[in-house]
Amino acid sequence: MMHGTIRSVSCVWVVWVCLFFCSSVTMVGAAPICANAQGGCHVLSLANLFDRVIQHSARTHGISNNLHTEFEQYFMPSKNHIGRVSRNCHTSSILTPNGKDNAQRMAREELTEVILKLLVAWRDPLWHFHQSMAHHHDFNNFSSNKALEMSNMVHELHKGVEKVAEKMQVLGIISNTVSSLVSPEALLASDSSEWRPMRDYDLLYCFRRDSNKVQNYLKILKCRIIPEHGC
Amino acid sequence: MTENDANADCVHPIMLIERNTILALCVGRYIQISFRLCCSSLASVTCCCIDTLKKNSDLIADLFVPPLILYPSFSCCLLAPPEPHITECISRDQATFQCWWSPGNFHNLSSPGALRLFYINSLASEWKECPKYVHPNRECFFDNNHTSIWIPYCMQLRGQNNVTYYNEEDCFRVENIVRPDPPVSLNWTLLNISPSGLNYDVMVNWEAPPSADVKTGWMRIEYEIQYRAGNTTKWDALEMQRQTQQTIFGLHVGKEYEVHIRCRMRSFVRFGEFSDPIFIQVISSKGSTFPLTLVLVFGITGVLILVMLIVSSQQRRLMMILLPPVPAPKIKGIDPELLKKGKLDDLNFSSTGGGLGGPPTYATDFYQDELWVEFIEVDAEDAGTGEKEDNQGSDTQRLLDVPQPISHHMNIGFSNAVSFPDSDSGRASCYDPDVPDQDTLMATLLPGQPEDGEVKTSPAPERLLIRTQTAGPQTWFNTDFYAQVSNVMPTGGVVLSPGQQLRIQESTSGTEEEPQQGKEHKGSEDSEEEKEKEEQFQLLVVDPEGGRQAAESNTPQMFAPPSSPIPGEGYQTILPQPAETEPAATAEDGQSPYILPDSPQSQVFARVADYTVVQELNSQHSLLLNPPPRQSPPACRPQHPLKALPSMPVGYITPDLLGSLSP
Repeated sequence: MMHGTIRSVSCVWVVWVCLFFCSSVTMVGAAPICANAQGGCHVLSLANLFDRVIQHSARTHGISNNLHTEFEQYFMPSKNHIGRVSRNCHTSSILTPNGKDNAQRMAREELTEVILKLLVAWRDPLWHFHQSMAHHHDFNNFSSNKALEMSNMVHELHKGVEKVAEKMQVLGIISNTVSSLVSPEALLASDSSEWRPMRDYDLLYCFRRDSNKVQNYLKILKCRIIPEHGC
Repeated sequence: MTENDANADCVHPIMLIERNTILALCVGRYIQISFRLCCSSLASVTCCCIDTLKKNSDLIADLFVPPLILYPSFSCCLLAPPEPHITECISRDQATFQCWWSPGNFHNLSSPGALRLFYINSLASEWKECPKYVHPNRECFFDNNHTSIWIPYCMQLRGQNNVTYYNEEDCFRVENIVRPDPPVSLNWTLLNISPSGLNYDVMVNWEAPPSADVKTGWMRIEYEIQYRAGNTTKWDALEMQRQTQQTIFGLHVGKEYEVHIRCRMRSFVRFGEFSDPIFIQVISSKGSTFPLTLVLVFGITGVLILVMLIVSSQQRRLMMILLPPVPAPKIKGIDPELLKKGKLDDLNFSSTGGGLGGPPTYATDFYQDELWVEFIEVDAEDAGTGEKEDNQGSDTQRLLDVPQPISHHMNIGFSNAVSFPDSDSGRASCYDPDVPDQDTLMATLLPGQPEDGEVKTSPAPERLLIRTQTAGPQTWFNTDFYAQVSNVMPTGGVVLSPGQQLRIQESTSGTEEEPQQGKEHKGSEDSEEEKEKEEQFQLLVVDPEGGRQAAESNTPQMFAPPSSPIPGEGYQTILPQPAETEPAATAEDGQSPYILPDSPQSQVFARVADYTVVQELNSQHSLLLNPPPRQSPPACRPQHPLKALPSMPVGYITPDLLGSLSP
């Protein structure tokens, strides 16, 4: 008898907890994000979108940093910077602002495009990097998982930035010149096999740099467009 | 990441230990590295240090480390190289950076302008000179126009005549050398004070360094607050913080605290400098209430502890007071199980015996159902020890209430005899005759067997036993097996008396009442008995009326050595002489207690009235006080005593009644 009561009570409690959490989850963002508030979808503010995207990029950069450090421990590459100076990352063909002034002077549309190009350029290489890490016995599962996570995050980050661009275009912040289609440069960068001969370490080295760039550009963009929150 | 972020000269490298090889990597801009290998083995914790000097930062590719070396420690120390070198390059705002150099040991190059700094990056195709010199500091400043992020730079020093001092390690990317300035405007506000007035919380807030462009999002900074009490040397660090304020909890009133702050770029490792410290102190204003609260708290705690101690120490008493035990019904000497079973007969019997201290152990078999019966157990393993002897003596004394010196020899000899299972005692002839046991039993029952050792034909164990007897006064031995029944009360109780100096006549002067056959055979078979190995137990009849003194006094008079040794015999039954004793109890019938032996050998009946020895039990658990005649098969008394003597106490046979019993 007691058993039954306890069971029923616990069932009810579990159901209630589930409902509570589910409702809170739905409140957060289960509803699809849409540009215009129709159809019952949940509209996120641009600031909110930006925050998410920036957080995402920060995390991506953190992971790339960790992996780079691990690589250094394992392989201890020669610090031949001179050699590295001349070495190019496959994204070097993409013109990116190399300083604060340049970045601030750049138009929003251009900046957004640069970000998108970078993210597109890194999708394939990161996926293959993860594959090679998985087969490499020198790395433990932790590193391999990080590589996979990195690859996924870049993918999501790209989608997120696309959404931000959409939103900005809808809001009229930027002109409609930014197309979701990648520019020829980015296509070139990603389709070309420039990145294939790169060793894993160099790949990480380059991605570490590029993720920092993306993070920086996003922040600059956000603080330029929405300077109120957290700038 | 173990990059050095301090200004110390020596740092710990990244270590990779593979079997006997240690790989160490000093990451950072070290010109020259010294590795100090300090080792300690399991046996001795000594430090054997090897100093190696290398040029590059990544090295010690294969330093062989002997096994059992523990705790090697490496440190990368920045040694000032002799040649001119770049000391450091730092960027404060990720838009500009500075580089410092040092001439090293080349003092002739220390004058300004003697050394020139050149740089190259991926954008430039050739080495360029420093855009702006700050000569007093030996510093080169790169402004916005000359600074590009995310591209590698390399530095070089050139002296006169194009002598180049270049190190490969002097290459970097600007975002990696960013060390932000310390935050500014550090101050604190009191949040609250705890009710006890001992602790308080403060809120510390500050502002981002002005050089770091946080507004445009160019730099994302996180902060670290460290604080310490005024007299300690160790700083406590709080979590990295992205906001420009933080709460410090749990500071103590009256102590002075020192707080400083530093910051770094998010997801990078290099910290900037610490800010100037600020001091926090809160003096307690409440003087009166503070001690009161404290006293109250401690007082209550102390009282509680005291109460708990009392309760725990007096647990039992408290339990007794609170929950007094309920006494269970108990009657001394009666097994409650018997009451349940309803065996009143057994109960009666047991009550009498139990009340008097228990029958001899040789009746174990008879009483094996009655658990209450206390038997003095003889421990077979302790045979032969003096301790056993003492035990026996003490047991005997306890039982008989008489100091009983037991001769050593006797005990030694009889120890072997003692070492037979109790359960066998008395059981002999009704079951498979266990000859050695019986013999030993018989031997044990011979306290006063021929001292002269005349008995030669006795069975070997018995002979041994007998021989070992001393000529000392025959004392009671092995009284643990049995108690002397000195009297049988009319009510059925048995009076046990101590058998002091009980001499058992070796003579067969006294034979117990026994069946006619036994009587007849007694005398004639005396001689035969010796040959017989079967038990020839005889009962020693205790005078039911005789008191102790009577027995004692009578004994010497009565004692008469047997003319013929009767080794085979157990005890001689010695009948009490009614003339010397008090009139027999009325319960006893007028039967003569004597059994006069026919043989002339029968001597005076020694008044060995101290005990009755039950020699055996038949299959019906009836007491056999006389061994059956040898010709006949072990004659078990078919009659149950109970049936034979309804008037007598259950299970007990007095000597008087033996005659009434017929085999």
